[in-house]
Amino acid sequence: MYPDNGSNAPTCPDRCGTLPECAPLAVPYVPFQQTCPKRYSQEDALSNGTLFPGLNLPFHMKADARNVVNCPLSELQALEFVLLELGLYLDTHQGDKEAFALFQQYAALEKAGREKYEATYGPLFKSSAAQSDCWCSWLQDPWPWNFEETEG
Amino acid sequence: MFVYEKKLQYPVKIKNTNPKLASVIISQYGGPDGELGASLRYLSQRYAMPYPELKAVLTDIGTEELGHLEMVGTIVHQLTRNLTEDQIKTAGFDTYFVDHTAGVYPQFASGYPWSASTMQVTGDIIADLTEDLAAEQKARLTYDNILRLSDDPDVNDVIRFLREREIVHFQRFGEAIRLAKERMDQKNVYFTNPAFDK
Repeated sequence: MYPDNGSNAPTCPDRCGTLPECAPLAVPYVPFQQTCPKRYSQEDALSNGTLFPGLNLPFHMKADARNVVNCPLSELQALEFVLLELGLYLDTHQGDKEAFALFQQYAALEKAGREKYEATYGPLFKSSAAQSDCWCSWLQDPWPWNFEETEG
Repeated sequence: MFVYEKKLQYPVKIKNTNPKLASVIISQYGGPDGELGASLRYLSQRYAMPYPELKAVLTDIGTEELGHLEMVGTIVHQLTRNLTEDQIKTAGFDTYFVDHTAGVYPQFASGYPWSASTMQVTGDIIADLTEDLAAEQKARLTYDNILRLSDDPDVNDVIRFLREREIVHFQRFGEAIRLAKERMDQKNVYFTNPAFDK
């Protein structure tokens, strides 16, 4: 039985999650994030570091996130980030059908986005190098840690 | 197994070199609460976990932490590229430089090399997941302190992202404990260790 799916489990507004009927003693207790939580757009999700506004709890020295989705690579990073965040949410909320449907939609978007990106900028996975003319496509700079002044 | 994807999880584009800042951020590469320890802790704790949700949470978060290790390595690399003769003598960085030049080595900010003594694998569900809650908090506060020490906006965007991930991971580990508890003795979760007592 999953506490968040119980018909008698009390819920509260999105930020607060799902409360138990009675809290257990002598074991760590974190409220369940309630199902169908509010979500950011994919761009805001990557920029903020979470898909879920209810979990966005920044430090006062750097409260606001800058929009970092401004080029083909960051557009792909935003799609992949939504997939990663939904996958982690589903690990502990496997009963949330809406979240799984969203995962399916984003998986299709990410696959299409990645194929388009790789066709222009080269392979992200070794297996994708098979679609290019030579192995040099896998070797070519930039590697992810390289800084490119021209990227802006 | 693991397959490499030739990209970062989040963009890292640092315009200005700053070896002094690199010498503190290295602690999130190989320090006591850094990303190397995080990934090895979670990926090693997986094997004793008896329930599928716990195997999945530890695998997914452990894998993501490897991506964060790459991001922190990238920050240190970009902060130490094209150093001048004067910059290598920066107080706090000179002691790193003498051993590692501009390489990226897993160590504490104090210079102590990464150590498996910073993490534990107990083979007990609640003990391991409770350590994981604490580990996420310790990583979170280390990022808080990096934000106190850094005035580079290019760095701070990335640190803000990494810090926020610790909060999301804390939430998922907390939920994982609740899911585990549902499967354990309802009157006394400490009556057996389901990872060992059959």
